[in-house]
Amino acid sequence: MTHPALRVVELGRSTTLQDLGRVGRADLGVPRAGAVDREAHDLMNRLVGNDADAASIETNGGLIVEALRPVIVAADGFRHTLGAGQRLTIEGRRERMWSYLAVRGGIDVDPVMGSRSQDTLAGIGPPRLTVGTELPVGPDPASALPVDHVPLRRPPEVIRLWTGPRAEWLVDGLDSLLGRSWTVSGAVSRVGVRLEVGEFAWAMQRRLASEGLVEGAVQITPSGEPIIMLANHPTTGGYPVVAVVEPADLGAVAQSPPGTNLRFIAA
Amino acid sequence: MLRRAFGPTAWLLDEVDEPAALALGIAAASIVGVEEVVPAESTVLVHCRRTEWASIGERLDTIGPAPRSVDSPDVLEIDVVYDGDDLDAVAVATGLGVDEIIERHETCLYQVAFCGFSPGFGYLRGLDPLLHLPRRSSPRTIVPAGAVAIAAGYSAVYPTASPGGWHLIGTTVTELWDTEADPPAALWPGRPVRFRRIGP
Repeated sequence: MTHPALRVVELGRSTTLQDLGRVGRADLGVPRAGAVDREAHDLMNRLVGNDADAASIETNGGLIVEALRPVIVAADGFRHTLGAGQRLTIEGRRERMWSYLAVRGGIDVDPVMGSRSQDTLAGIGPPRLTVGTELPVGPDPASALPVDHVPLRRPPEVIRLWTGPRAEWLVDGLDSLLGRSWTVSGAVSRVGVRLEVGEFAWAMQRRLASEGLVEGAVQITPSGEPIIMLANHPTTGGYPVVAVVEPADLGAVAQSPPGTNLRFIAA
Repeated sequence: MLRRAFGPTAWLLDEVDEPAALALGIAAASIVGVEEVVPAESTVLVHCRRTEWASIGERLDTIGPAPRSVDSPDVLEIDVVYDGDDLDAVAVATGLGVDEIIERHETCLYQVAFCGFSPGFGYLRGLDPLLHLPRRSSPRTIVPAGAVAIAAGYSAVYPTASPGGWHLIGTTVTELWDTEADPPAALWPGRPVRFRRIGP
């Protein structure tokens, strides 16, 4: 194992290691997990010259790390060079839920089932981060570093929706979600985002045997709360999926703090 | 069987008679671009690369279930000590004696219908109809790994410690979940399973 290069000084909120997740074992009940905003994870990796599958640190803010040797890092759109002993703080941001700290070489803990993602639902993955955790970083990728900052996209508040497999359970199908704004409730996590209760005209309501889910699936609970599944969703669910978020818009959904107003349009 | 679009990257095969067998059939076809095949109680979800989604949909219409392999060497034998905390409650609920519950549970040949709830948790179909009970009215906050349980018309073994609402009838030391193994779960959809009584 390589020598540790970063030490966690303050853990902050909901801070985990993430990459692109574990693909291929949902049939055994293994969630994909991985970064909830893959685009932001990918962008920070590119700023330090890594491939998209390098592990980064995902945090809701309050994270402080200290370099144990010189390292090149990127967070919130900027690249920094940290000398040994220098610290970097990632503040919480009012307009976005998640920040990513990428390190040139990638965080190089041992993968579990092909991924370094710390699954927050099933608990699969490398050991949890804690204050004092020292993290190894992989070899320098020898890639060019052409840019040192990128503007972070302001998350769009209009989200594109595709028809889901159970749209016909609603009298107006996918249209039931269009033409009004929806407020993100306080129930926001890596598993999913819950919206405030809406009124739906049901064409049918019966017990649904649990069925497979994908990221972006929009379930409607019997009480009328839409729940949008994010990267760490369970592999199956028992509420009807009436719509599916356009994959390119998922990062925007994941980044929406409680209170955000989202509007939907048909994809 | 009905094929339903599940957004631009997945198909939901609905009203499937044998989801585990169909999922094995799809996996055996090794279709380029298929990332996940997830059987459930009456459906199979196929998650694919977006660029291959439409062609995979058409291909799925031509694939049938894998042949049954109940007598194959894949049968998993799970050794059980029938010492579960809920044996007496199951006796009351079913009107059977504890010995008869154990005998009926041990005699059945099971098959993993699908996995879910937690990694490696297999829903085992084939349970004796006299042992079909709803879940406990109040779930336990912690069920230990290796607990053998019944509920909802299925039997199951908790592969790792977790909360749980099933009736506990026994314990096994057979390892069912190991992230270092391939596959990590001993109970994979379609696998035949027998329970074997050991000890008292």
